[in-house]
Amino acid sequence: MKLRAITVENIRRFSNPVTLGGMTDGLNVLREPNEHGKSTLFDALQAAFFERHTAKGKAVQALRPHAGGAPSVRIELETAEGTFTIFKRWLSKPQASVHQGTMAAQGPLVAQADAAEDWIARSLGTDQGGPAGLIWVRQGLTALEAGSKPEREAAQAARRDLISSFTEQVEAMTGGRRMDQALARTQEELARFATGRNRNPRKGGPWQEAIDQRAALHASATDLRATVAQLHDALDRRTRVRRDLAELDAPEARTARTARLDSATLACQVAETHAQDLANERSRLEAAELALRHARAQRDAHHDLQAEADTANAALPEAETLAQSARMAHASARTEGAGAQATLDQAQTGFDQANARRERAAMAQAARHGADRRADLARRLEAANQARTRMENARAQAASGPDAKAMREIDQLAQDLAQARALQAAHAVQITWVPMPERPDGGGPRIGDQAMSADVPYAVSGRTDVDLGAIGRLSVSPGDRPADRAVPQAQAAFAAALSRWGVKDGEAAHRLHGARVQAERDESEARAVLESLAPEGIEALRAALAALPAPEDGTDPAAPEPDLPPLAELEARVTEARARLMEAQRHRDLCAERLAEARDDQTRHDSALEAARARAARASAALSRKSAHTSAADLEAAVQTAQTAQTDAHARVAEKTRTAPDLNAARAALARARAVVETASAEIAHLRPELAALDERIGRASGEAVEERLAETEEALARARDKEDRIAHEVAVLICLNDALEDARQHAREEYFAPVAAELRPLLHLLWPDAELQWAQDTLLPDTLIRNGQPEQMAALSGGTQEQLALLVRLAFARMLARKGRIAPVILDDALVYTDDDRIERMFDALHRQAADVQILVLTCRQRAFRDLGGQVLHLHTTPHGDLP
Amino acid sequence: MSFCFLHSSDLHLGRRYANMAEAPDSNLRGRLIEARYSVLGRLAAAARAAGARHILLAGDTFDTPTPSPQLVRQTLAAMAEDPDLSWWILPGNHDNLREAEPLWDTITRTAAPNIHALTEPTPHCLDQDRNIWLLPCPVSWRAEAGDPTQALDRMQTPEGACRIGLAHGGISDFTGQGAAIAPDRDRRADLGYLALGDWHGRMEVSARVHYCGTPEQDRFKHNRRGVALAVRLDGAAPPDVREIETGQFLWAERVLDLTPHQDMAAAMAQMLAPDDAHRDILLRIVAQGWATLSDQHDLAQAAGTHAPAYGYFELRTRDLGTQYDAGDLDEIDHAGALRHAAQTLKSAFEDTSQSESTRKVAADALARLYAYTREDTTR
Repeated sequence: MKLRAITVENIRRFSNPVTLGGMTDGLNVLREPNEHGKSTLFDALQAAFFERHTAKGKAVQALRPHAGGAPSVRIELETAEGTFTIFKRWLSKPQASVHQGTMAAQGPLVAQADAAEDWIARSLGTDQGGPAGLIWVRQGLTALEAGSKPEREAAQAARRDLISSFTEQVEAMTGGRRMDQALARTQEELARFATGRNRNPRKGGPWQEAIDQRAALHASATDLRATVAQLHDALDRRTRVRRDLAELDAPEARTARTARLDSATLACQVAETHAQDLANERSRLEAAELALRHARAQRDAHHDLQAEADTANAALPEAETLAQSARMAHASARTEGAGAQATLDQAQTGFDQANARRERAAMAQAARHGADRRADLARRLEAANQARTRMENARAQAASGPDAKAMREIDQLAQDLAQARALQAAHAVQITWVPMPERPDGGGPRIGDQAMSADVPYAVSGRTDVDLGAIGRLSVSPGDRPADRAVPQAQAAFAAALSRWGVKDGEAAHRLHGARVQAERDESEARAVLESLAPEGIEALRAALAALPAPEDGTDPAAPEPDLPPLAELEARVTEARARLMEAQRHRDLCAERLAEARDDQTRHDSALEAARARAARASAALSRKSAHTSAADLEAAVQTAQTAQTDAHARVAEKTRTAPDLNAARAALARARAVVETASAEIAHLRPELAALDERIGRASGEAVEERLAETEEALARARDKEDRIAHEVAVLICLNDALEDARQHAREEYFAPVAAELRPLLHLLWPDAELQWAQDTLLPDTLIRNGQPEQMAALSGGTQEQLALLVRLAFARMLARKGRIAPVILDDALVYTDDDRIERMFDALHRQAADVQILVLTCRQRAFRDLGGQVLHLHTTPHGDLP
Repeated sequence: MSFCFLHSSDLHLGRRYANMAEAPDSNLRGRLIEARYSVLGRLAAAARAAGARHILLAGDTFDTPTPSPQLVRQTLAAMAEDPDLSWWILPGNHDNLREAEPLWDTITRTAAPNIHALTEPTPHCLDQDRNIWLLPCPVSWRAEAGDPTQALDRMQTPEGACRIGLAHGGISDFTGQGAAIAPDRDRRADLGYLALGDWHGRMEVSARVHYCGTPEQDRFKHNRRGVALAVRLDGAAPPDVREIETGQFLWAERVLDLTPHQDMAAAMAQMLAPDDAHRDILLRIVAQGWATLSDQHDLAQAAGTHAPAYGYFELRTRDLGTQYDAGDLDEIDHAGALRHAAQTLKSAFEDTSQSESTRKVAADALARLYAYTREDTTR
């Protein structure tokens, strides 16, 4: 259905009929200021489609003008079946009719009264409120969910109807109430056990209780197992204690321990007595051995004294002989040493003399060398002075003539002059006399006083008169020519250059230049000579000469001494004298060493002789003292006696040792026997109270039925584990079910809203390129805008954004309706109130985009803002009275 | 002239049954404990009824080595009630000599003359006139290695004696320590009868070798009440062994084979005998086979109907496979999110690349979803 025109009468401010016509298929705009009846038109349209003609309610009453009258609306519309005109009047003579044709050319009646109402409802494709709340926006109600409750419910029903027509009923898709109840049951059950996002056991819940119970039982079982283990240990220990105590406390065991102790005690006593006897015998043996060693020492000492006296007396003669020989050797060495010293003194004198003569000869030679040096320096000084004089003279001469540069200038000027003259000659007027053959000789013309030769050309450089003899005079004037002026200029320049050097011509200049060059060459040679003679200058040479010692007066340094041989010979003699001196020194030193050795030998042999004499005297004295008391025979007899006593004592010790019992073994056996007795007593003393303690502990533990409790606890623990496992499984089942249900419902919602989301997405992206909407299942409207991945609740958005989204959603719904064949116009009465200039342009784009498929009627008071909307601009026209039936 | 005695074992007095779940107010564990204690009276009655004056307990009379003094005293008191009956108590692995030493000390020191603690492997004469000798093999350690009846071969008795062996242990070696009783020990040791304990079920190993089982059952394994054996020996003839029911509680496990779309309530009712419903019956139903979600729901409801009539009722379904029919999922929902969720859970269950536990969780979640949606429709 598409609107083409609407005429209203007796509706609010329109007492007289007013028509809004010319509506096209796409976008239509009515831009009028406030209070021009736009909203009245909107309400009239709504009433025409949704208020039965018999209605008298508030909505109809509100249409009535102050002046009274029956509100009536005529609408021309177009459907797939053709063009129709519907008419409705309320309150007074209510009427509803549908005719074929336009307002202007109304055709036959199609339906009237209730049939007309039905026809109108069908034309919108719905009987549940139609698109009013869905795609028509009343002024001031720009939000998506606005208007009265019936209007909201009607719009929701329309949305549900529309979306379900693309998919399925939302109930069917999302499971509806049964899904809600299944989820509620699941979550209710789950909540009993677990809580929070991680589904941890709920505190105080059955799952946590099962966990706690299992943990407590586990701890209890662990404790009881430990107690049982202790009981078993105690039982084992008691068994061992009883066995040990029985073995220790048995009478036969006690008797055996006592007998073993008595026997060990007796054996130990016997061994100790024997050991004492053996010790006594060993003492006696030691005394005998001591006496024997003493007797032997006395005897040996006597023997030693005798031997010493004999040895000392025998050594005396040899010592005397050696001392005498040493004295003689000492005297001989002393004599030899004196001779060597004399030879040395003589050699020293010879060397000193030879050396003095060589030094004198050397001094004489040096004097001769000094005189030669002086003469050479004087000669070089004189030659140098001469060379300097020559150099200065040459330098003075070299400054007088033209140098090379001046000479090159003179030569150039001479060449210029010659060139000027050649040019003048080349360009000169030539006069040639050619005599007539018949003319007699000697009668030729003359130039000045010079006769012209026949057939020889004469150059004329200036006014020239040729005497033609009889004929007269021929005056030739070549005129003013540059070549003639150049010659004098060149001559002047050449003459000036020559005059600077005082010469008359070029040849003289060349001679003078040659003299200069020669003088410069002489100066150079003189400088070279001077530098060779006095490289460091004449003054240095003079100073060197002055520094030489002056010759002694009256002496001739060059004259040799008459008694001195040549220096080389004197040098050889000095060398020989030095060799002799060194030989004499070596010999003298050797003699000195021999003298010292001889002196030492004499001293040593003298000392040895004295010692031998003293030793013999001491030995003789000692022997005399010893022999005065005891003889050697007595001493030998005492030794024999002591030897016999020692042998006897040794035999007794050996016998006692052989027959001695093992004292250590006897003592160890006694200690062990005592230890056995003591240990047994101590062990018995220890075991009896331990046994009592074990009895008490075992009795107490067994009385507490610890294993019975352990068995019970372990069974309870197994049951608790089973319970915990069952609950954990139950939780897993509930979580699994909950997740499956949640996922399925979310999936269903996404599928359910997929068509409208797909329709809306391009419109939405005109404003926000990546925006998406989430839909509420109850209202079937978007409740969340997601931009840049961030969700924003619709209620939290700005008024502008909300109205833009509302309009886009309505446009999407309108297009969906159109795709379903339920073409209905979108009517927007000031639907964009808060939208800014930038966004409104994009909203215009959205309107145009949808207007390709949907008829859109925009009613707005924003004349300037909507000037750029485009579309078909509509105007209200007053309709002549009486047009309406 | 014949000689009669009662053979019993494994009384496990003092067992607390802490692993048994009990419904509120059922006092199941207390009743089970009391039943074990009161079996002493039933054994005495059985002995008297059989004309026996001796009751041989082949080990594990007590559940733990250290039963409470109260239990020991009351047990001994119960045994002492009839002085004409002699109780011969053999240490078993639960009340072995080493760990239960105080217990046996107590019994030896304080028990009435008709109660005999067999703590030594030495023969005892039961009847001088008939030359009947009891040859005990007490258990010294909880995990004793070797055949505990080997000593029987070496035990000396008078010429012509009728030898009765009394031992505790298995004829199969479950421990891997070689602790198995030779099944032919009766012949090796020239026994007229070998009374064995340890196995809680009744078993005849041979004509002269018998396990009597526990007189009061404690597990769902044997499907019958506990018994004692009245044994009559008459010369060289094989013993006459007669079972006497002594148990109060019947621990019964029944297998319920199911197929999909079977009437679950009917199947359950058919399996339960009319006289089953008794507070002394502990019943475990092991459902196996296959069932749809609907079947399982019905089965659980049927179990809930019958359970309160029993002392204990357990429906075990871990061996019951779930067959998912399209109809099952349709009952959850034909389409939409619920159906999608159900399909997701079914796919997770059928994904064999997942662990068994994950698949089990998914299967249970699907069954739960089915139950929730069924609850919703039945409200």
